Amino acid sequence: MIDIQKFRLTEAQIVVLGSHPQIIQSMLDYDFLAKRQQPSVVAIIATGRKQERYFWGETEVIIPVVSNLSLLREAKRKTITAVLNVQSARRVLSSTKQAIELLPQLQVVTIFAEQTPESHTLDLIELVADKNILITGPASVGLLVPGYLKLGAIGGTQHRQLSDADILDSGNTAVVSTSGGMVNELIHTVTGAGIGVSFAVALGGDRFPITSPAQAILLAEKDKQTKRIVYFGELGGSDEYEIAELLTSKKLTKELIVYIAGTVAELFEEPPQFGHAKAMAQTYDESATAKKKILKKAGAVVCETFADMRTFLEKRVEGERSPVKRTIGSRQRSMIVSHISGEKDETVRLLGKDLIETVEGNSVASLVLSMLLGQQVTSKKAIAFVDYVFRLLMDHGPYVSGALNTIVAARAGKDLVSSLSAGLLTIGPRFGGAINAAADGWLSGVAGEVSAQEFVESFARRGEVISGIGHKKYHIDLPDPRVKALVGFAGNSNGDRYLQFARSIEAITTTKKSNLILNVDGAIAAILLDILESEFDYDQQQLHELVEIEFFNALFVLSRSVGFTAHYLDQRRHDEGLLRLSPGDVRYIG
Amino acid sequence: MPRKKLSEYRAKILVNGALGISYVGWTVSSLDDVDAIEGYDTYVVKVDQAVKGRFKKGLVLLDVKRGGLGTAVKALLGKGYNSLIVEPQLDHDQKAERYLSLLRNRAGYKIAFSAHGGVDVESKSDAIETFALTDNFDWDTLAKKTGIAADKLQTLLDVFKANHFAFLEINPYVLEGKSLKILDIAIEVDDAGQYFTQLWGGDDIRTPNTLSESEQYIRELNDNSPASFSLTVLNPDGAIFLLLSGGGASIVIADEVYNVGLGDKLANYGEYSGNPNTDETYTYTKQVIKLILASKAPQKVLFIGGAVANFTDIANTFAGIIRAIDETAVDLQKHHVKVYVRRGGPNQEIGLEKIKIALEEHAILGGVYDPHTSITDALGYALESLKAKKK
Repeated sequence: MIDIQKFRLTEAQIVVLGSHPQIIQSMLDYDFLAKRQQPSVVAIIATGRKQERYFWGETEVIIPVVSNLSLLREAKRKTITAVLNVQSARRVLSSTKQAIELLPQLQVVTIFAEQTPESHTLDLIELVADKNILITGPASVGLLVPGYLKLGAIGGTQHRQLSDADILDSGNTAVVSTSGGMVNELIHTVTGAGIGVSFAVALGGDRFPITSPAQAILLAEKDKQTKRIVYFGELGGSDEYEIAELLTSKKLTKELIVYIAGTVAELFEEPPQFGHAKAMAQTYDESATAKKKILKKAGAVVCETFADMRTFLEKRVEGERSPVKRTIGSRQRSMIVSHISGEKDETVRLLGKDLIETVEGNSVASLVLSMLLGQQVTSKKAIAFVDYVFRLLMDHGPYVSGALNTIVAARAGKDLVSSLSAGLLTIGPRFGGAINAAADGWLSGVAGEVSAQEFVESFARRGEVISGIGHKKYHIDLPDPRVKALVGFAGNSNGDRYLQFARSIEAITTTKKSNLILNVDGAIAAILLDILESEFDYDQQQLHELVEIEFFNALFVLSRSVGFTAHYLDQRRHDEGLLRLSPGDVRYIG
Repeated sequence: MPRKKLSEYRAKILVNGALGISYVGWTVSSLDDVDAIEGYDTYVVKVDQAVKGRFKKGLVLLDVKRGGLGTAVKALLGKGYNSLIVEPQLDHDQKAERYLSLLRNRAGYKIAFSAHGGVDVESKSDAIETFALTDNFDWDTLAKKTGIAADKLQTLLDVFKANHFAFLEINPYVLEGKSLKILDIAIEVDDAGQYFTQLWGGDDIRTPNTLSESEQYIRELNDNSPASFSLTVLNPDGAIFLLLSGGGASIVIADEVYNVGLGDKLANYGEYSGNPNTDETYTYTKQVIKLILASKAPQKVLFIGGAVANFTDIANTFAGIIRAIDETAVDLQKHHVKVYVRRGGPNQEIGLEKIKIALEEHAILGGVYDPHTSITDALGYALESLKAKKK
């Protein structure tokens, strides 16, 4: 069995399965009020975004989002100690199981969903039986260890609630409740009487809470900070008989103050089913009256009303308690986040430094690459490569569709921005977009560890061309001089595995047709992947992300903009008027 | 969320089907359904709504001839029930009645057997033997004891597990030679498992109560919302009306009314939880107010209460309650209703302030309390107001 003290000794690192912004924000607010240096929530598992933004005190922090726990880096997974599972009841079993498998340091899980099937809960009970993991729930609002950990909605979801509730520092009374609403009521009753809380846990109102009331009470018995326990239970089930047994067998020696709800059931004609799944008494033994009786007999303090509980607790006050008071001031959510540039102390900053300082410390190529990657780069090799590529891609003659469109617009008398846009808008899957597509191919080929043969065949089966392969003019006996120049940048510390892969593809495709060679796009993609991996330690997930956001096309777009602009200026300088196709240029069929 | 009872009809189809026994029976919810029944001389007609003690309550009609089926069905539907089961009446030796049940508890699955089954099996509880179904359970011994083949018993357990049963009771069954005849079956299912099974659905769930109009309305509200709602009318002419939030807190508050001896004056029990939206709390409040206005009690009090919520927004949920009160304020005034409120949680300052202003404006304010006042004390003030008026 786990020891509550553990949660006071380790600074919890929490991953949230699913997203519940209101609850996550309240956990961060609690961390801040309890003077943690960093937020406890370190990752969120959800789809459709890569990060979520939360307040940290009066400023903001970013929490990374991944779509599956398995995509969280292993090094990070090894640091996770707690899980808040807010996914739907249908996914409770599979997602909790996965968390237990993938998180070796896991200490505690809170399962929030209602309506988890009993048999799924029983599977989880069996799964954690021989593990040192505390699971609260299903249908639990969480675990609170004052001053250290708030896992779930427990204690409230507004920072004012948290700062007003006197739960920022530890006391000596444990709160155990099957009900989520009542756990908070009990916390208020305890602190309202002038006593601090050692820990508070909501076990959930299901028939089989994974941590049973008796087990939770034993946690309190074992916890050195806890002097007494306040427990809220309901009619239904037999948990209170186990608790009574703990008292009579002296396994529980600390003072136990209980409130058992459900006497009103006696008013109903048929045994009523109350709000919680367990809250139904079919027999007298399961009734609130019977449970109160047995607990009283075993030596518990049984309260008839909440006012009684407060009065009783007030008698237990030892000395004046001066609760820690901290508050969070007003705060406003910003509209966007930028990692590139912004104003700070009334000066414009770029890549973390004063604008002028950054500008003076960078060449064009190093500034371009730094800004595109969102971090100041220093790798000489990477900068030299980008510089070369930038120059190489600037223009490829007026023949290509993008340049032609710029020229057509310029000749039609359009302005610079319109003409440039006409060219840029032409860039896509068939023109200029191949670097990104090639990078995607090389990356997935290497990541999937498929043979070059399989790779080529999979494209052939789908009837697709391989991006980065093939040239109109150049062929195996007449190699592209640009590719030759680019390959001069090989020799990276990763063994050039992407370039090697691209070359192995070329070796196959050229046996089919001599012009199916590695082209400029394919070579840039492969070498850039090798450089990013070797010089910047990007892992495959990060490289994949760069593909997704079209990083590899950005270089082409930027560089070719120079070419389009040059063609625009050229046309305007030597204006020949509107360009129109002659009848000979169009063959009409009809 | 909780365990629910399947109809006897569905339970019999399921269990007989799993054991390869043919079963004849009809489910009847209107007189028209009687037309399809044929092939036997004598029938038994029963209410199929999970009611306990059907025999004693006269909800089982025996020896019904084919021609008398219409009358029998009409008689039972006339008592307010809407689901019946009709079966051919087959005679058997009552002394041969046996009992078998399966249940799930925290430790796993258990099976119970008695050679003396029948209606009074519980009074002969000494005769019931219980076995925990461990991995290396000796099925053959159990088969010998029960007279049911080991593979059939195992099939029963498999069906039980795979379809989210929580409790299954076969009482009684009889053995005629080698053939097994099941006379009555009850199944409780875990309704959270409904998504994972095809063998039963929401239509197969039965509840014993006949619902009043308001109760039915709230059940539908509950079924169509991600939040939860419940309402039970305890005494239509009661004086104490509750509009509560939270599974635990709602019982506490109802308990505290009952514990001070005012149970007979308690008009209703119910709760909303899971952060319902404003329209939903409006709808819920309207139903409670409808009950208040229909009650003939000379003095009435409405207690709007709950614990300190973790994530339910008090300002939002109260906005719906206030809208309903605004609309019915004139009537509430006429009925001399006083309203007391005790609640805490997110945005409690706004919610409590607004409801206080509304109640004051309509001159129906009893008192509005935040969590600094205990549930007991706030409720006490509300109950006190009833006594005060009597003088």
